[in-house]
Amino acid sequence: MKIRSLERLEDIKQQGLALTYPDKIKIMVGMATCGISAGADKVYNALQAKIAELGLDVALEMTGCIGYCQREPLVDVVYPKQVRLSYQAMTPEKAEALVEAIHKGEVYPENLLCRIDQEDILVEDRMRPYANPHPPTLPVETPRYEDLPFFGKQVKVALRNCGFINPERIEEYIGRGGYQALFKVLSGMTPEEVIAEVKSSGLRGRGGAGFPTGLKWEFARKNDADEKFVICNADEGDPGAFMDRGILEGDPHAVIEGMAIGAYAIGAREGFVYCRAEYPLAIHRLQIAIQQAEDLGILGDKIFGTNFSFRLEIREGAGAFVCGEETSLIASIEGKVGEPRPRPPFPAQSGLWGMPTIINNVKTWSHIAPILVRGAEWYSGFGTEKAPGTTVFALVGKVNNTGLVEIPLGMTLREMIFDIGGGIAGGREFKAVQTGGPSGGCIPAEFLDTPVDYESLGALGSIMGSGGMIVMDERDCMVDVAKYFIDFTQDESCGKCTPCREGTLRLMEKLQAITEGQGTEEDIDKLVKMSEIIKKTSLCGLGQTAPNPVLSTIRYFRDEYLAHVRDGKCPAKVCKPLLTFQVVAENCTGCQLCRLKCPAEAVEGSKKEPHHIIQDKCIKCGTCFENCKFDAIAVE
Amino acid sequence: MNGKPGNLEIIIEKQARFVDPAKCTGCGTCLDVCPIRYEVQLPEEKRARAAFSEATDEAAVTDIIARHRERRGNLLPILLDINRHFNWLPRPSLELVSDELQLPLAEILRVASFYNAFSLVPRGKHIINVCLGTGCFVKGSPRLIDTLERELGIKHGETTEDMLFTLEVVRCIGCCALAPAMRVGEDTFGRLTPRMIPKILKSYAESYGQEDAEGEAAG
Repeated sequence: MKIRSLERLEDIKQQGLALTYPDKIKIMVGMATCGISAGADKVYNALQAKIAELGLDVALEMTGCIGYCQREPLVDVVYPKQVRLSYQAMTPEKAEALVEAIHKGEVYPENLLCRIDQEDILVEDRMRPYANPHPPTLPVETPRYEDLPFFGKQVKVALRNCGFINPERIEEYIGRGGYQALFKVLSGMTPEEVIAEVKSSGLRGRGGAGFPTGLKWEFARKNDADEKFVICNADEGDPGAFMDRGILEGDPHAVIEGMAIGAYAIGAREGFVYCRAEYPLAIHRLQIAIQQAEDLGILGDKIFGTNFSFRLEIREGAGAFVCGEETSLIASIEGKVGEPRPRPPFPAQSGLWGMPTIINNVKTWSHIAPILVRGAEWYSGFGTEKAPGTTVFALVGKVNNTGLVEIPLGMTLREMIFDIGGGIAGGREFKAVQTGGPSGGCIPAEFLDTPVDYESLGALGSIMGSGGMIVMDERDCMVDVAKYFIDFTQDESCGKCTPCREGTLRLMEKLQAITEGQGTEEDIDKLVKMSEIIKKTSLCGLGQTAPNPVLSTIRYFRDEYLAHVRDGKCPAKVCKPLLTFQVVAENCTGCQLCRLKCPAEAVEGSKKEPHHIIQDKCIKCGTCFENCKFDAIAVE
Repeated sequence: MNGKPGNLEIIIEKQARFVDPAKCTGCGTCLDVCPIRYEVQLPEEKRARAAFSEATDEAAVTDIIARHRERRGNLLPILLDINRHFNWLPRPSLELVSDELQLPLAEILRVASFYNAFSLVPRGKHIINVCLGTGCFVKGSPRLIDTLERELGIKHGETTEDMLFTLEVVRCIGCCALAPAMRVGEDTFGRLTPRMIPKILKSYAESYGQEDAEGEAAG
């Protein structure tokens, strides 16, 4: 039955609350792609089988990713009116033991991550305590959710529901205040009022460039074309970034609600979500969400009984990085080759099929609903003056706590990496942090106290980007990293404009030579010069930013480049042509493993005798080094 | 025009245009500005088309086209579905799309060759996608590729002779926190080391063998 009144919305909200917080024990498994690849599906099956075997009356649910990917698979047990306990790194065996403990009325004491005493219902501005009186007493010791540095320093706006609701149930989204913003907007705000609110919140595009969202909407609103479109850019092509996947898999309705509000504001009746085909689960969950929203009359004709109609369609990408650029993305939706075109005209004037079109990123859309319910002033209370609000980062690479984190803008890189991220894995030395994907740069340790916002990162030669943050340690070679990104952009360059197509190829050749020990000091200067030209002359954002990884690594790590060209050495021991592998005789037990594994038959030696590597035959694949259990292979 | 049948001398006033491949940079500008680019040049008689290898294949493609026919910008969704159905884009299916959508085959091939998801050659039963996203890269996914290439005896982008595995690299599957990761068909594996590769490959080679045996038993 379609929702036509506030009472009906309230009804569904109560249904949702009963599902999210049932009167019986509820077990939740984090089942986003990250959880599943860590084995969450096997854990879920084990839980299901054990619950059936013991005939327990508990609810078993799946949820999205709460962000702490490092500790997956995550299982949560919600004790009604008591507490929610999070368990980390679960296995099928431990899952069975967990169910048995619940069966006996005990609290399973192993693998505990934290306890959640209360949940923040962000949209309604209230904390929902599990226990009354609060806090509850527990028979086990475990830190509180907010006391873990990983969670405590975060402010979850876009991620407000990820890991808290079942993303395949619209009722649970509504239960936590979902679609209240859309109802409020449609039942009492003019499009101009909506735009004014978004404008005064100061929200800027979270896709990378940081253009003020409200201003973009205003351009499209002022255009009196018959047909207008809204598009959600979910073509998260940046390698090392998965914020959009996390939101779409954990809370797809947040995006739908934002888009419906945006469509009302600019006067569009049709919208597209352009999602990359590499995210099958995100597409699946979004499809379910759209269907459920249509069934309740939240999408389709006469939404909430008003005169506003809005349809939403998913378009799958086909694996082209350049389609994250807005004009290419539009071409791709039109069924053409995804090549960019010069701007202006901007899509807000002439976009999809020549009509005014607003393109925002997944993260931007998911900020819209809370802004409209809680007001621009509340939102701009987070972050900095020039960059209000929060943003989502995918914190990955060599940090202890990898995962999805949402922070108020202006937090320093040090806080993100060493507090939330828990420092560098394996006790190694921090070397650089890379933001902005192939368009960004590497920031060295001396700038760790830089606040994370558009302008500060830009000044360092990097960019905010869509939110990938890759931490590197002493074992990462900066020349190799630059080569990696140029290889990427060279491969993904659409080939339309010459500077990008040819320039990235030439950069690649020079970097290749340097990593093979064939480079000269002059090559480093040539790299800088070519990079400047490519930046100035390329057609679209891809080419204009492609040299950033090269420029920033030369700027901050020139000595590493010099080590390659002058001494023929790779200080991080990454560039294989510059390495030699040798057996450390004292450590070698003569176990024969390296001799047997060597693909080039370059290891000789008999049993229990120290082995020897024949340098002429060695192909420097590193197999001996990886397989040796006694640290008996030295790399120089 | 001079001469007699069999020995004619003709002066061509309008030269046929051609592209000098030595100078062409593949920029596509000529394609963009060509006024008759989107006009289908249909011959008098129906063109000879390559036959589908299975009779049911044509029905499948017709079905896919019918599903998307009414949508605007439907070429990509159609090609994606065909690619999913066959694991690649067989020539006859593209010709059918060309006829049905009234689009030049060259335009379809241009789109098909632009996007990484499409393959114009047959691919193996299991497509292995090793993630080369930055997160996986710094955690050693190039070594996974090395190992896979050695184990399978092919380079990335190639298919094993028994058509069992195709090895491809992908630019990030969004499992960065569990790097390095790879995907085999629909299954995603995280936190891999090169040592785990042979076992994973074996599990697929065996399941393949079993399916075959079941198929034979059922047949």
